[in-house]
Amino acid sequence: MTIAGPWVIVGVPLVVAAALQVLRRWTTVAAWVGAFTAAAMGALLVFAPADGEIGLGRLTLALYEPLVFRGRELVIGGSDPWALAFLFFTTAGLLVIAWRLLPQSLFFPAALATAALLAAALMASQVVYVALFIEMAALLIVFPLQESGGSGGLRYMTYATLALPGLMVTQLLLDLFAVFPNDEGLLVTSAALLSLSFAILFGAVPFQSWLSTVATDGSPPVVTFIFTAQLGTVWFMLLDYLQTYLWLERQAALGTMLTNLGIVMIVLGGLLAAAQRRLGRLVGYAMLADNGAMLLALGSERTEGMALAMLILLARPLALGLMTLGLQGLRDFGQGSDAHERLMGAAWHVPWRAAAFLIGGVAMAGFPVSPGFAARWGLYHLLARRSFFLTTAALLGSAGVMLGVVGAIRALLTPEKPVGGRPVTVAEDRVVIVLVVALIVATVLLGLFPQTLGRTALHLAEGYTFFGP
Amino acid sequence: MISIWVGRLSAWASTPAVWGLFVTGAIIYIVSQWHVRLVALLAQYFLIGILFSRLFADRPEMALVKMLVGWLICGALHLSARIREEVNPREAPRHGKAEIPFRLVTLFTLTVAAAMAAQHYPLPFVPPDLTLACYLLAVLALLFIGTEADAVVVGVGLLNLLTALDLFYSAQDPAILVTGMILIIELLVGLAISYLAVRQVPEGEP
Repeated sequence: MTIAGPWVIVGVPLVVAAALQVLRRWTTVAAWVGAFTAAAMGALLVFAPADGEIGLGRLTLALYEPLVFRGRELVIGGSDPWALAFLFFTTAGLLVIAWRLLPQSLFFPAALATAALLAAALMASQVVYVALFIEMAALLIVFPLQESGGSGGLRYMTYATLALPGLMVTQLLLDLFAVFPNDEGLLVTSAALLSLSFAILFGAVPFQSWLSTVATDGSPPVVTFIFTAQLGTVWFMLLDYLQTYLWLERQAALGTMLTNLGIVMIVLGGLLAAAQRRLGRLVGYAMLADNGAMLLALGSERTEGMALAMLILLARPLALGLMTLGLQGLRDFGQGSDAHERLMGAAWHVPWRAAAFLIGGVAMAGFPVSPGFAARWGLYHLLARRSFFLTTAALLGSAGVMLGVVGAIRALLTPEKPVGGRPVTVAEDRVVIVLVVALIVATVLLGLFPQTLGRTALHLAEGYTFFGP
Repeated sequence: MISIWVGRLSAWASTPAVWGLFVTGAIIYIVSQWHVRLVALLAQYFLIGILFSRLFADRPEMALVKMLVGWLICGALHLSARIREEVNPREAPRHGKAEIPFRLVTLFTLTVAAAMAAQHYPLPFVPPDLTLACYLLAVLALLFIGTEADAVVVGVGLLNLLTALDLFYSAQDPAILVTGMILIIELLVGLAISYLAVRQVPEGEP
């Protein structure tokens, strides 16, 4: 008997997620079972034989065989294995981080189920199903996001849902355009709707508020999950749209549109980050600038640019994981507040968290030594061939994020008397410190030797051929 | 035979149902007591069921499922509202007297805009009354999302938006898979907002 790969890739995490919902009282079990399942899915995709056939006794797992349901199919094709592996390994890493940070959290079942839905989105052949799966995933992750209170959950759910109609209607209009190719109005409307929907999902101006609210209100693993796994899949959805509707890319001046959107995002993200006096918002605006950098790379309309965008995406989990881990510890020190004035001198009391925030911030800004630097450096090179203005603006955006990080570190190092009578000594979990050190080492090593990530980014980019050879 | 009768009945009832949607939406927007809002939402899902029975004339069970899912969501919201009331009995959000005229004016203006949009920008392959329903639901969604902070009302706005999308999309492509997935999304939104509603409420003072 032969089992199609998508059954396993989507089914196993979903079944385990259901079990984790029952087991989540035992945090260690939930975290490690979840992490192992996600890592196993990732390993299955990376180490599968070339033909994708794996014998399991009487059963044969045919990884690349499509799963067909009512004429619609889920199939692992092109660069999907790499994208799926990125998704599952990121999820596994975040579940391990959540082990010590989120006791008995809904994050364990929700992250695994969300990863399964995002995997389904990556494997879906029709873009409308990609959009629907991503929306379902966004709704599931709202539950753990809201555990830490605030309005992040509601904000995220609202924006994710607002983006859905545009994506679905665009698909209808583009299908209509295929039938009536002379109706340019359909093309213009679909390009506008598509831009609007992706602007909402990427948190582009003026929809950036959800990024900072989520970064401020969410716990570190959940925020990192949303900004890496979830947004990464949104990114692949954009590429799927461009790959499916090739003439959209050719006729709607999409390159110019992406470049313009990207430059606005990176500059505004940098400026807002530089002006922040709250660390959570700084993370949100650093994210805005990073998304802008990805769009700028894609706007170059070259395979090279696409590979750079992928590299930025691959570098993100480490940087963001560090930043949010640092943020969580610093917020605990500030008794729930992440404002500069509440965190004066925090670096002397929670040095590892401050170091995590600093190094994560440097990596998010795309400064050395971090994998983000390799990606940004490549981007500046690519932009320099096109326009001096674009290069300067992109550099300005990155520098803005860096200024925000420097401002935060200055506050953390300033040995002023703490405000509000909080305890001066804060006990740090040793396991969390080990995690922080491991992430810092990984960041520095990948910053020094970015070739491994670069090769993976190239594999990912090769699956999309709409820019031509 | 049954589907023919359902088709005739829904065609006859759909225009009143559209305006019924407006009335129920207006009640949710203007009245602040959660009991009244919940009854209005129940009625709204009944009317939505009637509208869907027009689109799924040969599969009336689909319209029934839409209605039942809506009522299920109402059940979840009812539970949340009860928990909120128990946790914090003093928390009874009421609109200020000065606020109500503004709400009425906004509602009236946007309803006129929706009616005019339905006339001047008809949606392709969608009957005129359902076009008006789509626009009205979208307008109500905008009002709820844009002017309310309460998770339940914002959530109802999202549900209205999804229903408008579902009506529009089902008229173009009545594939059961898309409809089913939108149903699951609606259910997830319902569960999420009832969860958020409980998490959002501050503990009452002793």
